[in-house]
Amino acid sequence: MKAIFALLLMCFSTLSSATEQAEEIFKQLAPSLYQIRLIDKASGEKSSIGSGFQISSDGLIATNYHVISGFARHPHKYTIEYLDNKGHKAALTLKSVDVINDLAIVQRDVSKPMPFFEIAKKAPTKGEELYSLGNPHDLGMIVVPGTYNGLKNESFNDRIHFTGSVNSGMSGGPVVNKNTEVVGINVATSGNQIGFLVPHDKLHALYLEYKQNPPKSIEQQMAAQLMRNQEKLITTILNSEWQLKQLGRGLIPTIDVPFVRCWGESNSDKTDAQIMAAVANCDLDENTYISSDFFTGSLEMEYRYMESDKIGSTKFYHIFERQLNQVAPGNLAGKDDVTDYQCHHDLVMPQTSNINNKAVFCTRAYKDFPALYDVLYIAISVDHEQYALLSHFTISGVAQETSLAFLAKFMESVSWK
Amino acid sequence: MEIIIEEISHGHKLLSRHKFAPKNITIGRGYDNDIIISDPHVCAEHLQVHFNGEHWLVDDQGSINGSFLENSEDNVIQHQVRSGDIITIGKSQVRFVFPNHPVSESIAISPFESLINLARHPVVVALSMVLFAFIGGWIINLNNANEVTLTQMLVPTIGLTLGFTLWPAGIALVSHLTKHDARFWTQMGISFIFFNLMWLSDIFENIVHFNTSSNSSMLWLLAIIPLLLAFCLFWLNCYVGFHMTLRRRNVVASSLVLLLFGGSFIIQMSKQPDFNPRPRFDTTIMSPVFLFAPSSDVETFVSDASKLFEKVTKSAEDEANKE
Repeated sequence: MKAIFALLLMCFSTLSSATEQAEEIFKQLAPSLYQIRLIDKASGEKSSIGSGFQISSDGLIATNYHVISGFARHPHKYTIEYLDNKGHKAALTLKSVDVINDLAIVQRDVSKPMPFFEIAKKAPTKGEELYSLGNPHDLGMIVVPGTYNGLKNESFNDRIHFTGSVNSGMSGGPVVNKNTEVVGINVATSGNQIGFLVPHDKLHALYLEYKQNPPKSIEQQMAAQLMRNQEKLITTILNSEWQLKQLGRGLIPTIDVPFVRCWGESNSDKTDAQIMAAVANCDLDENTYISSDFFTGSLEMEYRYMESDKIGSTKFYHIFERQLNQVAPGNLAGKDDVTDYQCHHDLVMPQTSNINNKAVFCTRAYKDFPALYDVLYIAISVDHEQYALLSHFTISGVAQETSLAFLAKFMESVSWK
Repeated sequence: MEIIIEEISHGHKLLSRHKFAPKNITIGRGYDNDIIISDPHVCAEHLQVHFNGEHWLVDDQGSINGSFLENSEDNVIQHQVRSGDIITIGKSQVRFVFPNHPVSESIAISPFESLINLARHPVVVALSMVLFAFIGGWIINLNNANEVTLTQMLVPTIGLTLGFTLWPAGIALVSHLTKHDARFWTQMGISFIFFNLMWLSDIFENIVHFNTSSNSSMLWLLAIIPLLLAFCLFWLNCYVGFHMTLRRRNVVASSLVLLLFGGSFIIQMSKQPDFNPRPRFDTTIMSPVFLFAPSSDVETFVSDASKLFEKVTKSAEDEANKE
């Protein structure tokens, strides 16, 4: 009986200690936590909100790039301001961004050195309890406990998988360990209890870079980051193993890296269908947010095999032709961001393979980021009467050289069995 | 001396023609006149024409609305007639011509005529309509992704064919209304032969597009074929349906072509969005049977593709400069 009582008491005390700890953490850190708001100059109202936290005694505040993206893209339209735990508001200036890792550093004016968050020296261990801080849905600052679950497997740029509720508005808020050191930054959620964080080392790197060599212009800084990232991504993909898989009578390349995932579908269950179709597509599980209507950094590959012995060859290709009209870019971009597409088409038969394609390649240029393009390729085999293979890819935010290297490798990899 | 008096419409079209030998001729609404004009603006005794042994003289008989030589405002009193004079009485017109009035040169029957007569041969008309219906049905079938039975195809095919007969029928009607020979079957024959030629040019155009890459620069020539065909069709429609000079026929046919193609071009242009997020390119894909051109290799394609980057970079810079 005594033993049970002792056990219950122990349980109670650990429980209470967890809540106490969260409370304690919050109290201690609250003065260094902010709500970051983007104010639309014309209407004077806030147009988006997020969270931020101070990372130096002289007023540097870290947040997500996507929280302040409106200002980064249209500095004349918005101002950035903070709201602290006492309800004070004041303006912030944008100092540096990391568009790939969705981070930004802004600065507030300080009269005397202020408390700030320490950035952790090492990554947490799997299962470690973490506390996410932020201001979800404008409800006021809260603390959400959760667990560290390692880095997300399928992402090219590291993201921490955090088991805990990260809600909108908590973006840019810090995630700390028991020692109140920042181990990550809230960035995205994937539904119930699954959140994603930017690892602390990305922020640390951005902070050091800012201290040593502050950027001259945010736009140029973003352009350089996008250029570096596409180079790294496409080089990794080109140097990875391209596995040939069978689709109908064709052989199609898939890339054996965890961050490119493939899916498939077919109508083989419908025996009365006029055309047997099988589709496989592979895509990069992430993209880069530039503004709410401009995304980049995506990569998609799609293959479509069609075969029919029920309809004539002319009709078969006529139906296939319509699929060409449905081609759309893989990323969202508007008139202010990109030019119209320019296309080239030709009949192409790679020397190394036995497939004769009608191939189309299109590209459009980014207006604000020089030497970056969206590219799109689509080809349909035109060498067999009753079956054909469509191969297609789109990549957004690539340089000319890398995209053409990818194009050549892709074209040479698709063939008949 | 004889005189010929023609009653003409405002467009100078002949309504009736009379030849007179007597020295005195009267024109008016009254039934005792030599020429009776049932125009309420014409008086019962309106105009008198008289031969004085040397000249014909015209005299207004004191009518309410007067009689005027064309392009003149003076009432005709003792007017000496010259061959070809036109006099307005009330809202009608009469023309005076002497027997020695020159006539224009006779027009030789064009070699077209035999071809045109061939076009209205019942067998030719029937064959071209059947061919038209057959191609139309085939295209309806191609555009339908599902399986199409013959009976399902029959109704739209007949509808399409009937719809296209409206054109020759319309022209025949207009010819008839403008006091020309309707020549309905000739119009039918000609129109359907050209409709078929247009289908064929369409198929030809597709084959050429399928076989060429965007490097070829002569493709605009293909766009002229339908223009030429349409011009020929309208020209022949005019030739068969109306008496008009060559120049006028050319102008009418060109205007119709301009109206048809220019109109659809303007409609297309007006639908063009300011910015198109989707790529636009030649999507023509056909069965390998129609493939005749040799293929390029990957290297050529990649080097052609690399030229696009310069183009889009330039257009991005141009737009940046504009702002």
